[in-house]
Amino acid sequence: MDEIIRINHITKEFRVPDRHEGLRGSIRDLFSRSYHTVHAVDDISISIAQGEIVGYLGPNGAGKSTTIKMMAGVLEPTSGEILVNGCVPYKNRTRNAQNIGVVFGQRSQLWWALPLVESFRLLKDIYQITDAQYDEMLALYRSLVDIEPLLHKPVRQMSLGQRTLSDILAAFLHDPKIVFLDEPTIGLDVSMKAKIRTLIHELNRRKNTTVILTTHDMGDVDALCRRIVIIDKGKMLYDNDIEHLKKFFGAYRTLKLRVKGDLSEQAKRIAAELPECSVSANENWISVLVNEDKQKVISVLSQLQKSYDIRDMQLEEISSEDVIKRIYEGGVV
Amino acid sequence: MKRKGFRFYLRIYFKILAQDLKSKMSYRADFIISTVGMIFTNIAGFVSFWIMFRNFPSISGYSYHEMLFLYGFSLLSVTPTQCMLDNNWNLRQQVYSGDFIKYCFRPINLFFYYESEIFDAKGLGQLAFGIGTLVYAWAKLGLAVTPLAVLKLLVFLAGASFVMAALQTAAAASCFWIENSFYVLDLAFRFRDYAKYPITIFSPVFRFIFTYIIPIAFIAYYPGMMVLRPSEVSLLSWLSPLIGAVFFYLAYRFWMYGASKFNSTGS
Repeated sequence: MDEIIRINHITKEFRVPDRHEGLRGSIRDLFSRSYHTVHAVDDISISIAQGEIVGYLGPNGAGKSTTIKMMAGVLEPTSGEILVNGCVPYKNRTRNAQNIGVVFGQRSQLWWALPLVESFRLLKDIYQITDAQYDEMLALYRSLVDIEPLLHKPVRQMSLGQRTLSDILAAFLHDPKIVFLDEPTIGLDVSMKAKIRTLIHELNRRKNTTVILTTHDMGDVDALCRRIVIIDKGKMLYDNDIEHLKKFFGAYRTLKLRVKGDLSEQAKRIAAELPECSVSANENWISVLVNEDKQKVISVLSQLQKSYDIRDMQLEEISSEDVIKRIYEGGVV
Repeated sequence: MKRKGFRFYLRIYFKILAQDLKSKMSYRADFIISTVGMIFTNIAGFVSFWIMFRNFPSISGYSYHEMLFLYGFSLLSVTPTQCMLDNNWNLRQQVYSGDFIKYCFRPINLFFYYESEIFDAKGLGQLAFGIGTLVYAWAKLGLAVTPLAVLKLLVFLAGASFVMAALQTAAAASCFWIENSFYVLDLAFRFRDYAKYPITIFSPVFRFIFTYIIPIAFIAYYPGMMVLRPSEVSLLSWLSPLIGAVFFYLAYRFWMYGASKFNSTGS
């Protein structure tokens, strides 16, 4: 496997001015500024091979975008070393840009007023794509998605789904070695999500493009990634196969219940009855996290329905947020 | 990958320009109204100029036609900025919302790519108006039309355009540091109204300010004098193209520095 991205112990610090409250505070800030340092990325090392799809996960503000910006060469790491395709991105931003494609969630990089095909032609010139390569890529696109209705539509008139699709196609157009996708399925409906996942998967397979995917949607991760990297507060929490993670968390299900009576009162009683499970409540649901290796959800349910009047119930797989929270609390690696 | 030289950028620019104009034409009403608006703005500017000269036959020894010449000159030197750097007006919004990041991923010069996105066709009306004014004043003044005079005009006009472009670029770049930078840009744009007058009509303090601090005197007066009164020009007039080029380069570096700073503030 050829290594395409190598990150050695990178750190990124930002100097953020302290803001004081109130009018007096603002006036104070005007004359004397004090700063504190934020470690947006704190000692991260990753090695990524050509053709991998890596899910890059973490809560908001974890440092995902900062890492991507550093890999894209728009941000210089405070310390540490990054090599993308053998060169240092920050020192060769334009050369590096030739080898990468970027889709930043809801910020379309296409020319707003132009039909998609005109945007493609401009990109063809900017990236100096040969006619043969361009035609081949367009033929590939035609075989994967129905792009004809999109080609002659100005980006401004597209739906969010069509725009995201267009942005992804534009990012792959110059056959980059790496594509960064930042929350590509955010705000899309189920069928569009599926379409976009299939598209990414196929492009990765046909072109052997490395894909770095940041997302909050576990569905994206399940459909696309074999490997995931999780960071939080700038620190790396996890870097391994998704199978490994699933084995660990696969046994967990969340049983959500609505019962008669005050939910928080009832939750306390349930917690006392089920020492194996962790129970919490909000205004709508009582959530019971069940480890099926120890106790089946069905048996929990039958036990509870004897003594509680259950009005409604839902069964949920453990969410990515829960996984991350658990990793953060417990430490799996 | 081929080297990206001047011709590469020129080609890209004209392609984007063609596409942009094409899409603007598709909003016909918008296009016509804004063009008509620009013409009226120019006419209004000219009328107020004319009324003033109905009452004063000359200002500080400058005749009506000489003033008209400088007026036309200033219109022309502002045109490239108006047409090509109009996206600077949106910079503040783009930076504030974080959308500016989307320009940073292309394998071409960031400033070029950002500015190429918008071409303000309204500026072309101003161009026509400026040429008309200049030619009229030129003829009335009885200035010689020699190849040398025309060449001189073009060179010094280019230098003057750089000064305006630099002023606007530097003012726009202030948004990378200041949140309410609209006023900076607006101020820079308002100052250009003073550019069309001979600097000698101002008090020494403003003369100094307009020459060395906010160098709007280089938009029309200093370079214009090269053609208007070649016998009494100062060294600053001779240097104006160089000053323009250097000033624009510095403004460009300032803009690029601001852009790199923008990214490092995180989002």
